[in-house]
Amino acid sequence: MDDMTKIKQFIVDEFMPDVPVEELDADFDLLTGGVVDSLGLLKVVAWLESEYDIGVDESQLGPESFRTVRAIHDYVEQEKATA
Amino acid sequence: MSSSLADHLIEHARERPTAPALVWQGDVISYGDLLEMAQAADADVMRLGLADDRPVGIRAKKSPQAVALILACLKAGRPFVLPSVELAPETLDALFAQAAASRVLIPEDDPVHGVKVEATEVQSDEAPEWPPPGADEVSFMLTTSGSTGLPKIVPLPLSAIDAFTDWAAGKFEIGVGTPVLNYAPLNFDLCLLDIWTTLKHGGCVVMVDQDRGTNGGYVADLLTDHAVAVVQAVPMLYRLLIDVAKEEDGRDFPDVRYALTTGDKMPASTVAAIPDLFPNARLFNVYGCTETNDSLVHEVDLSAEVPAQLPVGQPIDGVSALLVDPESGGFVEGEGTGEFVVRTPFQTRGYLKASLNEGRFADYAVNGQGEARYYRSGDIMRRHPDGTLTIEGRSDFYVKVRGVRVSTQVVEQAIQEHPDVIECAVVAVPDEMAGSRLHALVRKEPESSLNSLSLRQHCTSRLARTEMPSSIEIVTEPLPKTSTGKIDRKRCGPRGERSRVHG
Repeated sequence: MDDMTKIKQFIVDEFMPDVPVEELDADFDLLTGGVVDSLGLLKVVAWLESEYDIGVDESQLGPESFRTVRAIHDYVEQEKATA
Repeated sequence: MSSSLADHLIEHARERPTAPALVWQGDVISYGDLLEMAQAADADVMRLGLADDRPVGIRAKKSPQAVALILACLKAGRPFVLPSVELAPETLDALFAQAAASRVLIPEDDPVHGVKVEATEVQSDEAPEWPPPGADEVSFMLTTSGSTGLPKIVPLPLSAIDAFTDWAAGKFEIGVGTPVLNYAPLNFDLCLLDIWTTLKHGGCVVMVDQDRGTNGGYVADLLTDHAVAVVQAVPMLYRLLIDVAKEEDGRDFPDVRYALTTGDKMPASTVAAIPDLFPNARLFNVYGCTETNDSLVHEVDLSAEVPAQLPVGQPIDGVSALLVDPESGGFVEGEGTGEFVVRTPFQTRGYLKASLNEGRFADYAVNGQGEARYYRSGDIMRRHPDGTLTIEGRSDFYVKVRGVRVSTQVVEQAIQEHPDVIECAVVAVPDEMAGSRLHALVRKEPESSLNSLSLRQHCTSRLARTEMPSSIEIVTEPLPKTSTGKIDRKRCGPRGERSRVHG
């Protein structure tokens, strides 16, 4: 499973288990759509840290950073590259 | 003082003794029969030797016997308090004590006279509040649920009942021989139309047995068998009938001329099905409450596209309707939103317990007239450029989500606008971080592929971020309902948290 699918799968499992994973568009706005709120964001961060072993500096983390699956994916790619 | 309502009924009984007055469980009770039953009930009450100037309590489910007992009280000019029999016994006793009821009357069937009246004493420590101002004019005393504590007793003057029953008969063409469905329980203000307007004007009340009220096929057969012309009910009944029509290959009810929806908002999908269900009917959205009775009426244009939200319409004749800005307390003139504050010819002078009136009733001087008493509805309404009003929400449906004031009803409206949604409820769930978070329980059309993602996509263009529900549960079974057919939001919270829901 590629990272994009893996992230989508996590979002769906965690926040909208009634939705088939292929329906979640990488550019769907998770914040405006109310899927991920501030509490949800903490869950995403915790998952990224354990799944990819990357540190997420929460003080650097605005709500914009993880607005879409693509944004999360880009962040992971970037962190992996600099690791 | 006797009531013109009772006088009219006696006249009908003299002129047309065999004409049907009530239909109940397959039996037809004529005006002659009903008058005899009322006389028998009156004789039983007289034997008790009660003080004339004190109210009685009536503990009765819907039945011809209960109707006869109420008629006897009206004829004798005896005020009576008529609470829901579903209330706990201690609550009932407290209400009867608050009304200083000399006795509690219980109508029962009797093979000889058609009715006999049992009487019990009132036992409660609740302080009596009788008499209220204008006590000699009081007839019906209905109750309305308070958010806390005892239901509130609403004394209604005879003049208000007379004004209402005459208005309703004219507006909805209820006259001699008109069959009218009575869906509401006997203690509801809706009965002032279904039962009491009909009897005053010589029509026939087709009474729905409360215990079978959710059986759509049963109500459908009543409509057909008795050629019912006027239906007043909560949206739930219309939904039940639509389901019956679907199962029975497009069954319809051509005798219905007036369909009145009230008490809850009617979903657009239900409105859209009305012309097929009632091919000859006009549809009215009726807004009222126990304190004022009906104040706004909107006729739905069934040939036009169904609006997402039905207006509640315009004030009916004699009604003075204000919008009051919740922040400044000033009147909102023309277009705008504010709390709906109203004065009707049908209203109470105030709750029986005078201390409850504060904040609910207020005196306003309007259009250079002297001060007059208005009722503060607690509903936030919007007035449109043409004067039509729509409900924005209950002022007490507003909750704080992340510090922002959000109306759960605005959220419900947005969800309801999705074509695959049959009904929905949005409730606020206490949340440590957000103060409250919103949970939506949504019933979708069984065959639709609606899920929480597609519903969120639908809502993003309609709702602010704080208005977006944190959690969405989509189901296919009907939402929990109260005994009166309204959505029971207390039982619509997230699974396992339903007792914590508020709002």
